[in-house]
Order: sequence, then structure tokens, then C-alpha cells
Amino acid sequence: LSSVQREPPPPPSGRFLPPDPRVREPYRLTPQLALRVGVLGAIALAAFAVLLLRLWSLQVLSGDEYLNAAQSNQLRLIRVEAPRGPILDRRGRVVVSNVAGTAVRLWVGDLPERGRSRLVRRLARVLAVSPAELERQVEEGLADPLTPIVVKTAVGEEQVAYLYEHQAEFPGVEIAQVYLRSYTYGALAAQILGYVGEISPEELARLRRAGYRPGDRIGKTGVEAAFDTYLRGRPGLAQIRVDSLGRPQSALELRQEPRAGYALRLTLDVRLQRAAEEALRYGIQLAHQNKHWAANGGAIVALDPRDGAVLALASAPTFKPSVFVGRTDPRKLAPLLDEEAARRANYPGLNRAIAGLYPPGSTWKPVTALAGMEEHVFSAYDPIQCSPVAYYGLDRQRFRNWNPSVNRPMTLPEALAESCDTYFYEIGNRFYERGSEGRVQIQQWARRFGFGGPTGLDIGGEADGLLPTPEWRRRTFTSDWDRAWNPGDSIQLAIGQKDLLVTPLQLATFYAMLANGGNIVTPYVVAGVEQPGGKGSPSLVLRRFAPPPPRPAGVDPAALAAVRDGLWRATHSSNGTSAGVFASYPVPISGKTGTAEKVVQLPGYPSGHLEDQSWWCGWGPSDGARLVVCALIENGGHGSAAAAPAALKVFERFFGVKAPPAQLVNTD
Amino acid sequence: MLDVASRPALGARSRRAEPAPLAFLRRLDWILLGAALALVGYGLWVVSGITRFDVPGDPSYYVVRQAIAAGVGFAGLVAAAALPLDLARRHWQLVYGLTLGLMVVVFVAAEAVRGSKRWLDLGPIQFQPSELGKVLFVLAIGGFLAGRVGRVTRWRTIFGALGLGAAPVLLVFLQPDLGTALVYFAALLALLFLAGVRWRQLGLLLGAAALGVVAALWLLPAAGVQVLKPYQAARLTLDPNADPSGLTYNLDQSITTVGSGGLTGRGVLGATQTRLDYLPEHATDFAFASLAEQRGFVGSTILLLLYLLVVWRGLRVVTVAGDLYGAVVAGSLVFAFLFQVFVNVGMTMGVAPVTGIPLPFVTVGGSSLVANLVLVGVLQGVHARGRLSERSGP
Repeated sequence: LSSVQREPPPPPSGRFLPPDPRVREPYRLTPQLALRVGVLGAIALAAFAVLLLRLWSLQVLSGDEYLNAAQSNQLRLIRVEAPRGPILDRRGRVVVSNVAGTAVRLWVGDLPERGRSRLVRRLARVLAVSPAELERQVEEGLADPLTPIVVKTAVGEEQVAYLYEHQAEFPGVEIAQVYLRSYTYGALAAQILGYVGEISPEELARLRRAGYRPGDRIGKTGVEAAFDTYLRGRPGLAQIRVDSLGRPQSALELRQEPRAGYALRLTLDVRLQRAAEEALRYGIQLAHQNKHWAANGGAIVALDPRDGAVLALASAPTFKPSVFVGRTDPRKLAPLLDEEAARRANYPGLNRAIAGLYPPGSTWKPVTALAGMEEHVFSAYDPIQCSPVAYYGLDRQRFRNWNPSVNRPMTLPEALAESCDTYFYEIGNRFYERGSEGRVQIQQWARRFGFGGPTGLDIGGEADGLLPTPEWRRRTFTSDWDRAWNPGDSIQLAIGQKDLLVTPLQLATFYAMLANGGNIVTPYVVAGVEQPGGKGSPSLVLRRFAPPPPRPAGVDPAALAAVRDGLWRATHSSNGTSAGVFASYPVPISGKTGTAEKVVQLPGYPSGHLEDQSWWCGWGPSDGARLVVCALIENGGHGSAAAAPAALKVFERFFGVKAPPAQLVNTD
Repeated sequence: MLDVASRPALGARSRRAEPAPLAFLRRLDWILLGAALALVGYGLWVVSGITRFDVPGDPSYYVVRQAIAAGVGFAGLVAAAALPLDLARRHWQLVYGLTLGLMVVVFVAAEAVRGSKRWLDLGPIQFQPSELGKVLFVLAIGGFLAGRVGRVTRWRTIFGALGLGAAPVLLVFLQPDLGTALVYFAALLALLFLAGVRWRQLGLLLGAAALGVVAALWLLPAAGVQVLKPYQAARLTLDPNADPSGLTYNLDQSITTVGSGGLTGRGVLGATQTRLDYLPEHATDFAFASLAEQRGFVGSTILLLLYLLVVWRGLRVVTVAGDLYGAVVAGSLVFAFLFQVFVNVGMTMGVAPVTGIPLPFVTVGGSSLVANLVLVGVLQGVHARGRLSERSGP
């Protein structure tokens, strides 16, 4: 096209632009386009001329006026903290609330230039805070004189009285009312509730656009963090008169009321939660009585198997969230924030129920059983020999049953009731012998039941756990020996040992599926958001958090019935592993013990020795279940000796029925 | 080739064996590149001043992030310059689809920020697609027009372009991001203008647009139909009585802030308007006011002159372009840039309506910085390819 245009070279006079040696082919640039580019250029010049003239007029011609205006800018708007919303249990009992506290604040702009250091040190002495730390804060605060330094919250009466009497000697010191988080039940449910602290620079960068500002208080963990949006309310605005250096010259005058945070209603029941935490201590104590001195922690999950509402979620050891309130004591915070101190205190901040990882041991057997029946590896009522030992693999590796005195064929319910290991070794080996397809089938079903990933708890913070597969071994290890998936891997997986890791919440969700007839629930802790009513008036429900409806796991009802039969016998038949604990309990309970070997590091022991993790998971009533309980006592020995009696305590509180005194036996 | 060979000077040069990438590099507009580099550097320096007190304990928090974004932006610049622009012309439908896709994703996935959905959350980074969308938008509509070279003055083509342009403009408007929607609209007008639509037709279009604005601001609200949110209408009309969210307060503070800077500025520590937060949004929408306060007339003029340099070199790229597509795209990008600078800077001084448009190369925000560097990259590509085609003939 252009070559046609080019044929007659345009006469120089006809050119729109003068010939430019750098623009060698002006024919491309049509006169029309050139004109229009010129117009754009003119617009650009005009635009910049307007901007520059306006800039000149503002800054140079009237600069002094505006400088005066800026310097006499006297009214400043300051954010006023809104009271944080309370947290209620499922019956409306207040678990976390706010109390008015007295805080001493320091406006650094009012400090005299001379003698500042002496004054700061004296103030620190009066309030018993670290003088060096306060001085450092004052140095930092000088850059922003309009944000007072909070020297101490929850100040005692005497100190307040002293400061009032000597007001003249402490310029810039202000005594203010602030809201302090108050925990009605002390350490109860500490890991779920979480704690509140000042916003960190990282959080600020992430949340600035959502309206967070420096100095804001924000939930750091648990419910406080996950539902901070609802709890924090909206800060108000107050006006303050300041001089040109930003020093306040008047009292605060409220312009816009802060809106208090909404109340959160939890699914937790305070009484059941307390029972669960006591049960955990009881279980640890029982373990100690059985000479399992290393028992030092654990977790109990109590769920409503019908919809996944978490009724109790206990984790030991625990902490008091109140250590984060007010001016904090570094010694008390160390176990929660410092890695080394946390290790020494056995990680009190860790919510073991959702983030603790353990091999499940025999509590896993129902998973193997369901997978085996679904994949037609065995049939529930075809007997398999429960022998004291079994040999598998090319090297005839020996696998022992926990109970060496049993040697008879068993059906699935019997094998579950007595927790026969060799029965399940046989199933594991059959899976192995199916080749690469069979070696992942247990894991596929387990994944479908919610293992290997978070269950979807609304406050987050869950650990994934680990479902070992041949592919995982290949990916994770380097030596050929370790990378191979051997018969032992499938066989140990069948009884929930070796590399497998689950969280107590995952197991509880699985047992809820067994209890409710095959539906997987999504556990949740927060039931809704409410606008607290005034004194005596009911609160207004603003929003209900309905969990996703239970979804069918797709297990065959006959297979499920066989497993449920086995778990009922485990608590009731004469050879049942936890029959000693539950058989005589008036409410029929079904459940499974577990004794899982885990490599642990304990002070005073050779490094990396095996300790038994004591498990019990089950539900009651056996038919029409209303409560699922999963209990774990770390290093607690046999499942029937520590975890099962602890779980019983939770059932006792829930059903309001005490159990007759029982004989405890050591079973798997 | 014949044409070129007839020119001895050029012929001699073209005979010299020169590797293609080097030939390409030699034909970049180095002044434009220098101006962009200077703007990035100057912008970082400005940001370091205006965000010094924004994150307690970390005065360089935003500068560091901005510098990282600049690094990403340079990668974008290189990529945009190296990719053949002809690809975008031939597959303009794809580019258009990508533009729309980005906007729709914002609607589906973006988290609402201050009541508007503009940001995509990609883990640790957040991304504002409408910024990069600006460049894609121009590439796509330009492709549509370039495919109808002889028929641009037909109403069918004009309405086709308007119709294509309307969807992204509307989506950005609904985010709601009125300012960026206006930038898109300005780019659309520039596209039609440079593609050769008649003056009379342009006049009609502008008249219709004016009528639309009047309708949106006054007629339809009177009839009970709200097109703009009240705060948007109040901002556009600079109505001091309708002041629901302290708008005139913001504007007054902004003008005071600019004025108080004087000839040489009050410095970072002395700039109380910025430091004590009298000036709203000093790191984003009102960044220019903050700069004017801290660095004064001198500092602000340096920035404006750097912008002018980019605009001048950009318009020059239009004249160098090897084809109509390159020329139209380059010109429209430059006009959108100019529009953005004028509206943002004008807003802080009360000569343009208050809308949330980022100030190119200065406003804190990676997406904007990356998009503007990509824009410069596209201009470089047009320039270098135009120069190359001079040597070898079309």
C-alpha cells in the first residue's frame, strides 16, 4: 500500500512538516496525523502551563499565607478506640469481656527539653516499669507527638493517687480510662480464644487498606484473630486543639462516637470445656499413676456429630490470656513468644487439638477397615486369624500383636473390639500386594474422610497432618532404602503407625462421621455475631455462621454398620479394650482405644526414644449420637488407662450421669 | 529496498553487518528511557520523604516495596519493548478478552477495599488490574481501529470502537473507580482522534459526552435515578455544600498543603501537614500535595518537567512510528498519561475534580508503577521498530 503512495515523491512544498533528516520517511506520517499530534502537543503544553502557573500562584505568590494557615492548623482529629466486642459461650455466658482500666499515658510533646530523662526515669520508678525501655519509647515517640505513649495499663489505685497529688511535677502525664480484655474463666479455652495485642508493622501493611492504623489493637491468634473484623468495632473520632508543634492544648472533644465491637457467640459450652480441661489433667494424672512420668500434655475434642459444632476443645499445657493485657511481663510472655522458653514449658501456646500432630495408632483401624471393605480387600464377616505374630515380606519380617495370648480367627467387629493388630496387618499386607494401586487406597479413603488436610475449622490454624504414600516417600527421602515403599509401610499404616500423623480434630471429625451414619461435618467454633443488648434486654442476632451441610462420605452402610458394631463391642464386650471404662456406664458409648508409638525428645532420656501416646475416640449414645469425644494424652501409655477414663469424664458432664467406679486395665 | 538503496548514507550503514538486538538497542529513544529512569528515581526519593512516618519503626517500609515494584516494572518495560507490537494488532481480540477478563476477576475475587473492589490479593502481593488494563485497553481498541484503516470515519466503526471501549470503562466505573474510568475514556477519545475520525464527528461525540455528564450529575438525580454515588458527584462538581465525607476539608487541606511548601519546601520534618496527617491519603491520591509541601515549588517543578519530557518524547514517538497502529497506540498512551498527570496534580491544587487517580511514578503502589513502566516499554518498542523499518524499508 505504501509503495503505491510512494510512487510520485511528494514535492517539498507540499509537505506538512519541514524535511527533517532524522525522520527519513515523512510519507508515513500523514499530514492529518501530524496535525493531530501537534494538537495533542498543544494540549500538553497548555495543561502543564496551567499546572505550573497554579503551582507558582499557590506556592510562590501566596505561599506565606498558606504557610500561616498550615501553622495555625489547630484542630486535629484523633481516633478513639472502640470497646472490643465480648465473646460468649453457646448459652450466652460471657467468656471474654472488657473492663474499664486505668492507664497512664505520656504525651512526649509536653515533656520539657531539659530534665526530660530525669522525669521519665522518675515516672518509670513510680509505675514500676523499666526506665531504659520507657526512655527508648520516648525517643521514638518524639517523631509523632500526637500519639501518646501508653506507659502502663491497669495501674493500681495508690499509684494513680500519687500521680494526681504530684500532677504538677509530671507534665505530659495523663491518666485515662481504657478498655482491658477480661477473661471470666481465667485460662479456660485459652488457645481457642487467642489473645489481643498491638498491631505489628507486618499486619499494618497488610491491613492498612482495611482501615487499621498504627497503635490499633488486633486479635493475634484464635477467635480473636479470625473474627477481628467483627470484634474490633469502629473507632470514633475526637477533636483536639493543638499548637503548631502538634502539642495538645485542649481536652479531647468527641466528634464521632466509636461503635463498640459486636459480640461473638461460640459453640463452646463453658461447663463442658471446663470438664474437658479437668479431664485432661485427670488423664495426665492417671498416666503418672501408671508410671508414665513423661505424660505432660494432651488434647480433648468434643464435637456435636450432627453438625460439627465444637462443644469443647481442650489443650494442655495452657496459658492465661490475661498475661497479654496491660503492660505485659516479659517473663510471663516468654513461654508463648520465645522458641526456647516455649520448648521448656512444653509449648503452652500450641493448640494441640488442631495443630498437634500424632500417630493415631489403633484409633485408625476403622479407617483401614472401611477402606478395606470398600475396596473389597476383605469382608467383615470372613474370619481372619488373629495370631500372636505374623511374618510378611521377602525377609519374613516379624509383626507382633500387642496381646500375645490371643490366637483365634476373628470377624471385623471382634478384631475392632479387641484391637487385634495381626488382623489389620493382614489387611495392610493385602493392600500392599495389590501393587501400586492398592498401596494408596487406604490413603485415598483417609483423604476423603478429612485426613491429610485441614478440616475447615473456622478459626484456622490447623495442621495438615501426613498421609504417607509411595510417592511421598520417593519425594521426601534420598537413600534408595528410604525411598522404597515396603510391605512394612502398608502394614504399619493399617494400624496407624510409622509415618502417619493426624490431629485430634481430624480424628474427631472422622469419628463424627462414624457416629452420624456416614456424613462428614465441618467443625466450627463461632456460631454467630450478635449486637449485645442493654441490661436485661436480649441481644440481637446479626449473623449466623451456618457451617457447610454435612456431606456424605460415600461409605457403604453395611461396612459402616460392621465398624459401628465393632466399636460398640470395644466398649461393651468382655474382651473390649475400653469395656473396663465404659461397659458399666448407663449411657451406651461406642469407641476405640489407641496406643501409638511416637519418637519423642524428653529431658533425661536417650534422644529419640519411643513413648506411647494414649488415645481414645468415640461417641455416645451409641445410636443417635449427640457427642463425639476424642482424647489424647501425650506419652500417657495405654489408651484404656489414661485417655479413655479422661474421655469418660467429658461424657459424665455432658449427660449429667456419673459412672460407677471402674477397674482399669492396660489394653491397647 | 530500492528506495533505501537510493540513499547513499543510509545504504552504507545498512550494509554493515549489525546483530539484530544491538540494532534494536541503538534505536531506542534513550532520552525517553532516561526520563523514565529519572522519574522512577525521583519518585522513590519523594516516597521516602512522604512515607517516612507512616510505619512506626520502619521509615523505609514503603520505599523498599516501591523499589521492588520498580524492579518488576523494568522487567515489564523490557518485555513490552521486546514483544512485537504487531502481535497485539493481529490478535487484538485476545488482548481485549484479557482486559475484560482482568476486570471481571476483580469483581469475582477482589476484596473490597474502602468499599471498592480494585485489588486482587495474590498472597503477599496485591495487584490492581485496572492499571495494567489501561495499556491493554489501548492496544486492543487500537487493533480494532487499525484493522479498519479506510473506514475509520464511518459511524459503524466509531460506534464499534465506542461499544468495545464501553465494557471495560463500565467495569472500572463499577469497581467503583471513577477516576480510572475517566482515564480509560480519555484514552478512547485519543484513539479515535489519532485514528482519523473527522473533527465534526469528534465534536458530536464530545457534545454527547457532555450531555451525558450533565444528565448523570443533574438531570437523572432530579428524576430520581442515581448514576454516581453522592460522594462522586460532589467531587466532580466541586460542590462545597454537599460535603458528606469531609471532601472540602480534604481539598482545603490539600491546597493549604501545596501552598505552605513555598519556593523550596518545608523539608520532611517540617512538613506538618503531611506528618501530622492533616492531609488525607498523602501517600496515594494526594502524593503531589505532600511533595509540594516537603520540596516546594522547585521540587514540584522538577517532577512536572520530567513529566513534560516524557510527554514530549512520547509524542515524538508517534511521528517516528513505523505504522499507523504504532502511532495511534503510542499517541493514546501518551495522552492517557498526560490526562492522568493533569487530573491528579490539578486535583491537589483545586483546578481539576477530585478523583482517585494515582500520580504516575510517585503514588505508593506497585501496580501503577509497573503499568507506567510497561507503558514506556511500549513506546520504546514503537520507536525502535519505526527506526528499524526506516533502514530496511517496509
